[in-house]
Amino acid sequence: MAIRANPKLIEELEPYGAEDVMKCYHCGNCSAVCPFSADPYVFPRKPMRYLQMGLEDKLKGQLDPWLCYYCGECSDQCPREAEPGETMMSLRRWLTSKYDWTGISRLFYRSWRWELGAIVLVAILTAIGFTLFGMSQGSIAHYDGPDAFLPSASIHIFDWVLAGVLLTFLLSNAARMWWFTMGRDKDLPTTLGSYITSAWMLPAHFFTQVRYSKCEHKRSWATHLALMLSYVTMLVLIMFFLTRMASGPEIDWSVHVAGYFATAGLLLGTALFLRNRVKRSSAQYRHSHESDWIFLVLILIVATTGILQHILHRSGLDVAANVAYIVHLSLVVPMLALEVPFSKWSHLAYRPLAMYLAQVRATALARARSGEATALRPGAERTQAHAA
Amino acid sequence: MKIGVYVCRAGGEADDGVNYESVVHYAANLPQVEVVRSMGVMPKLDPEALADEIAAEGLERIVIGGDSPGFFKPAFTRAMALAGREPDEVRLASFRAYGVGGDPATDRAKAIVACAVYGVPFTLAAQPKDTKWNAAALVIGGGIAGIQAALEIADGGKRVYLVERTGTIGGHMAMFDKTFPTLDCAACILTPKMVAVGQHEMIDLLTYSEVESVTGVPGAYKATILRHARRVDEAACVACGVCSDVCPVRVPSEFDAGIAERKAIYIPFPQAVPNAYLVDEASCTYVQTNGQKCGACRKKCPKGCIDLDGHGDVMQVEVGSVIVATGYETLDAARLDRYGYGVHPNVLTALEFERLTNASGPTGGRIVTKTLKHNKRKKVDEWVFDRDGAPPKSVAIIHCVGSRDSNYNAYCSRVCCMYSLKFAHLVREKLPEAECYEFYIDMRAFGKGYEAFFERIAEEGTVIVRGRSASVTEHDGQMYVKGEDILSDSVLEFPVDMVLLAVGLVPAERSDELAAMLGVPRDADGWFTEADYNGDPTGTQRGGVYVAGVCQGPKDIPDTVAQASAVAAKVLEGAITGRGLQSLGSLTLTDIEARAKSLVSVS
Repeated sequence: MAIRANPKLIEELEPYGAEDVMKCYHCGNCSAVCPFSADPYVFPRKPMRYLQMGLEDKLKGQLDPWLCYYCGECSDQCPREAEPGETMMSLRRWLTSKYDWTGISRLFYRSWRWELGAIVLVAILTAIGFTLFGMSQGSIAHYDGPDAFLPSASIHIFDWVLAGVLLTFLLSNAARMWWFTMGRDKDLPTTLGSYITSAWMLPAHFFTQVRYSKCEHKRSWATHLALMLSYVTMLVLIMFFLTRMASGPEIDWSVHVAGYFATAGLLLGTALFLRNRVKRSSAQYRHSHESDWIFLVLILIVATTGILQHILHRSGLDVAANVAYIVHLSLVVPMLALEVPFSKWSHLAYRPLAMYLAQVRATALARARSGEATALRPGAERTQAHAA
Repeated sequence: MKIGVYVCRAGGEADDGVNYESVVHYAANLPQVEVVRSMGVMPKLDPEALADEIAAEGLERIVIGGDSPGFFKPAFTRAMALAGREPDEVRLASFRAYGVGGDPATDRAKAIVACAVYGVPFTLAAQPKDTKWNAAALVIGGGIAGIQAALEIADGGKRVYLVERTGTIGGHMAMFDKTFPTLDCAACILTPKMVAVGQHEMIDLLTYSEVESVTGVPGAYKATILRHARRVDEAACVACGVCSDVCPVRVPSEFDAGIAERKAIYIPFPQAVPNAYLVDEASCTYVQTNGQKCGACRKKCPKGCIDLDGHGDVMQVEVGSVIVATGYETLDAARLDRYGYGVHPNVLTALEFERLTNASGPTGGRIVTKTLKHNKRKKVDEWVFDRDGAPPKSVAIIHCVGSRDSNYNAYCSRVCCMYSLKFAHLVREKLPEAECYEFYIDMRAFGKGYEAFFERIAEEGTVIVRGRSASVTEHDGQMYVKGEDILSDSVLEFPVDMVLLAVGLVPAERSDELAAMLGVPRDADGWFTEADYNGDPTGTQRGGVYVAGVCQGPKDIPDTVAQASAVAAKVLEGAITGRGLQSLGSLTLTDIEARAKSLVSVS
């Protein structure tokens, strides 16, 4: 059956940052210069065409946008200034909003006022909540000890509850991503075996982002990796060693040294990315969506308030340290609760997942092509003949 | 009658020199104008809102002013209809159509708006005055456009001064092997015309010369022509070639697009007109050493017609008309480093391939790859074309090199698709075993017989790949062309032995100086601007100054010849009647206003 096109799709993508798609005249330069574009994932020209034609459903099922790391080579060389790199970025934003079943992501990406408003609201609620909780627990004059304002044991429980909620959202969205890109394609002869044999790609790509290093700009990859590893380090410290982190006022070098490295990485990483975006230093930093700014600034101020809290605590200024802690928490909570499942940060899950699924899909397609496709369902051949 | 003037701009970035605010202010003071609106660049027009305004203000006529007001006409026509007015009362005041870009642009724009408000055609109100006309014509540029125009004017019995910068007429066409789509031998068409120019009693052929200045008014121009020192007596030289044989200097030959060498005393090609040698002072040892060294050619010349101490000359001519036919240059392929021109020896530009495949070229028309040879004089190894070189097993032809590309030339160069197809034919004809690939974005086979030519090339077995290739690389001594075949969504890599770059066309060097000298505007891409794109494609802002050929915009040989003939007709019209029109730009705003008013009162 013919595909129903959505002529409004291109307008729909505009708030996500895709503004120049119609300029593309399909010379194919972008796909040919892309270091990642290879059979069966040839991009960015093909997704650009899908966009021009309004093939919403096809786009929703594409893994290609996640296989692009936006080195910007395509945009630099584009003869039409059609910004293929930015189009891929916009598609990632759009796909994020499609994977998200709550509709919150769509709201955030289409309007920065909504995103910022939600962050402020959650921040205020968190501040009020923790202040009331603190008053019920102890005295603001004490940072730790039996009369502590915010006892780390309670915060620890809260962290785990928050993590559980976030994971639920993120995993349910990731499941939808799998459904759109793999599950609903009944003719794809995937096997459980290939899901298992390719599973190593998930942690490998998550922790090394090795694919990013194949881009022209190695420095972007290094900065991104440093920022990510810093955050993961901090996350591990907080999730597993919070009580030791919060003890004091003496410095516990066994955990704090890792914390210092992670903090430095966070500050440096965000500062470098912010500088690049302000200076528009290369193609991938020329266009910044509001969500990009919000994300980076949020990490930067979370790190700054964390440092402040740490210094005040070590200086024995318990009241000030508690206030800083409240401020820090009321920024951490919206950063995690809103950015991880609904906004830019969700790519921590979608990117490695996409590379993993792409591998499984490519294996399946190769099997189908080589004629060994025993898993081909009845009726699949007819569909193929139809397509041909 | 109540009139509304709406100023809408279509081109935001192009600076046409018009002060739009001043035009809006001016329009507000015109009689009967009730409403003046400055709508900005590419306004989104809502016919219903416009209709409300038309009804509220009781407007009976709408004037849309701007660079391309036709763009916005539908919205206003609809608005007039919705408001219950006469939809025909939407008048266009098109600045572009009437050649704003001259000086003063703002006054011209005001005059155009005024005429639309008065309801008088601009061309009628701004009809330049008649003036006396000198029958002689100056043609600048001796390519096919200049040759054609000069011949037709001279055949009409009028004097022509044909000025050519190089040592021979013929231009680019003389370098070509075949013409598309007929595959005629280019020289067979061109050389008889060249000879006719050389022998014509009404043509004063001034080669190796440049126009230094043009002064005066339409119909009575005075041109100063700088005649460079040829150092060989043009009339006495019999082109025996003895001088060239003894000349020790070797430099790249311009005529062979640099793929072969010539001497410092040389004839551009054997059929050159005038058929006489000349000395390139930049490379001649005698000239460079102020007569201290060499001078071998002078001693050997059997006719004694070489004067190495010769000097240039300045002459003045009086003409009524000037024809600009300065043609083009090709884009410097080295600017696109991804195609490796200048890095890989067998990446050639279109003109280089024309010479390679031409029977009068350095290999006698054999298509071969370059050979590494030791240059004893320079003591280096060089990649050169050798008659006995190995033929390529596969050839890639890349379209749109620097054309339709916002990083280089945004425009289509118009000839490349067809000459590329011609190249494919020549490769397959001479090397039937060779693979030939065409990489294109869109195939522009728009002319008579072109589509059939395209089909023919495809049938001959050339592989036509849709998708402009992205790069030329080399590993292990093999070149590869990489590109996406967009019809199969695949990124492909083709091993090839030779790559031909279909470089685009750019205006000839120093066109800017010439434009300033003549007072003729050029467009944003540097091509000379015609007086009216549709109605007067050969005239310019300035009376008596005409354009022919590629200098007005990329075009192929048939179109160039047609335009040159059209120019000849225009020039002969003035020459025969002895009268012609002054420059459009010579009329002031007050003149046009007064004339428009008088025309209104007549009607």
